[in-house]
Amino acid sequence: MLNNFKISFFLAYKSLRRGNIGTTILTVAIMSMIFVNLVFLPSIVSGIGEGMNVMLIDYTYSNIFIEPKKDNLYINNVDSIRKKVNSLPGVAGASAHYISGATFACEDKFVSGAIYSINPIDEVTVTKTHTGIIEGDYLSEADTDEILLGIDLAGKEGKEAEERDLGGVRVGDKITVTFRNGIIREYRVKGIFKTKSFVADGSAFITEKEMESVLGMENKASEILVKLNQRGTEEVFKKKFMELGISEDIKTWEDKAGGITGDIISSFSLITVISTVISLIMAVIVIFIIIYINTVNKRKQIGILKAVGIEKSIIIRSYVIQSLFYCFSGITIGSLLLYFLISYMIANPIDFPMGNVKPLVEQQLIIQSITGLIAVSLIAGFVPSWKTANENILKSIWG
Amino acid sequence: MIRVQDLKRIYVMGKVEVHALKGVTCKIDEGEFVAMMGPSGSGKSTLLHQLGLLDTPTEGKIMIDGVDVLSLSDHEKTVYRLTRLGYVFQEYAILPELTATENVCLPAMMRGEKKELYLKSSSDLLKTVGLGDRLHHLPQELSGGEQQRVAIARALINKPKILFADEPCANLDTKSSRQILELFKELNEELNQTIVMVTHEEWHKEYVDRVIYLKDGLIEKNY
Repeated sequence: MLNNFKISFFLAYKSLRRGNIGTTILTVAIMSMIFVNLVFLPSIVSGIGEGMNVMLIDYTYSNIFIEPKKDNLYINNVDSIRKKVNSLPGVAGASAHYISGATFACEDKFVSGAIYSINPIDEVTVTKTHTGIIEGDYLSEADTDEILLGIDLAGKEGKEAEERDLGGVRVGDKITVTFRNGIIREYRVKGIFKTKSFVADGSAFITEKEMESVLGMENKASEILVKLNQRGTEEVFKKKFMELGISEDIKTWEDKAGGITGDIISSFSLITVISTVISLIMAVIVIFIIIYINTVNKRKQIGILKAVGIEKSIIIRSYVIQSLFYCFSGITIGSLLLYFLISYMIANPIDFPMGNVKPLVEQQLIIQSITGLIAVSLIAGFVPSWKTANENILKSIWG
Repeated sequence: MIRVQDLKRIYVMGKVEVHALKGVTCKIDEGEFVAMMGPSGSGKSTLLHQLGLLDTPTEGKIMIDGVDVLSLSDHEKTVYRLTRLGYVFQEYAILPELTATENVCLPAMMRGEKKELYLKSSSDLLKTVGLGDRLHHLPQELSGGEQQRVAIARALINKPKILFADEPCANLDTKSSRQILELFKELNEELNQTIVMVTHEEWHKEYVDRVIYLKDGLIEKNY
């Protein structure tokens, strides 16, 4: 048996070493391209999904999202909750928000939307909104007459005003905000931010102190965002928060986002599956054609080998080994190409409307692609050589 | 050694049946150098292919050394071909990706012989056929006659009981043909090698012990 394997390897090795180098290069190049294709598109889709998730964590929900119990409008005893949450190792910070419906007006433009209050010091430990300031400055704790606007609410100068923006207000402009309770305040625009999160970019922020004066309440919040040091530990911390006696409604960012990104990603996943299946079918056809032509060209040799007493299984195995050589070489070169391509794209992310997208190569995807290509190569190497090796010896030699 | 009884081979080509052998009976003894001759389509190559287990007859019996070789399974036939029979085809059927030595070694490797042994045997055989200075040449670097001599060396590596040669000189010039036939003669006389050769050249008769002359799928003369 071992001897048979040795002969198969011997025949395969000599055929690859002394065979047509052009065929080998072409086959390996095609295999590597198929491998890149199998991994690249799904990794972009994963990257989009991951980008959206990061966006939700960084700008909307953070890792854990605490909201009032059902039928309550506000969370009570916010300071106590904040203290409890911050006492746990692994918690990077907690930020409480009031949210109010409001109408923003500037000159003759007015837009309805949501206004959030933040404690600027707490907020920087939880969200990344402060990093998105494109004009002006971030809020400071003592600000009472200043407001931060998202770019989608502020609008862009020179661009035709849309229904949901203020037509291009700038830092220093004054806007009037009518709160849900009827209170009207005028604020100077202190900064404008752009995060690419459509929720954040359509919002306005004032300080917690100012919001409490408007709403006439304190130590309450509409939501508390909790940032964890390590993503993936949300469920553990959710449980810990409950054990600390926090009786509000505690949700992970995934609980909150399930409906949004889940649907988008599952739509993308369908595209990925279709693309993967097509790539694999392409791989089968291409490898099959190449190996088939290669085998048919060597039909006479197969006949000679059989005539001199070489067993069919040895002949078939030698072709399967050649096919696997093409496969592994293709995977190796494809992996190098992917490495350079992905490294480039990580350094230069694609500018998508929902954020910068970097490809995300998952281990499972790599394993799936390698397994798929190996299976395809085995089939493509086996079938034509089996077919030819089972032909009548004379027919193989003389056609 | 070889006993053939009422051997028939019918090829079906679409709706047409071609009777290539119509009931051949003959015998070939150990140590004989036999030529099979006859006009094109007489069935000489077909008969050689049946004797060499390269094809399966439609009817009849072939006994080699008392073994009913037609009753062997595919695998047993493969082993039989490897260990008992040697072949030389007209188109120097050697593998283009293997050197002369590798081509010759292959059947010995298949038998599981030790590397040192098969390397020495192949080298000795290639020297015997006059290719001592071409051991590591690829077929493309050899002339037609040299390639045919590699094929002969390969056919002999496993010390076969019978050597089958199907028009071994068909693509060779007269000088190379003589070299091949003289080599066959030497092997026959010195090693008592049984050789069955198909040929259509009348002058080849001077090298053989006996001629089996076929015509229309039957033996017409045996002399």
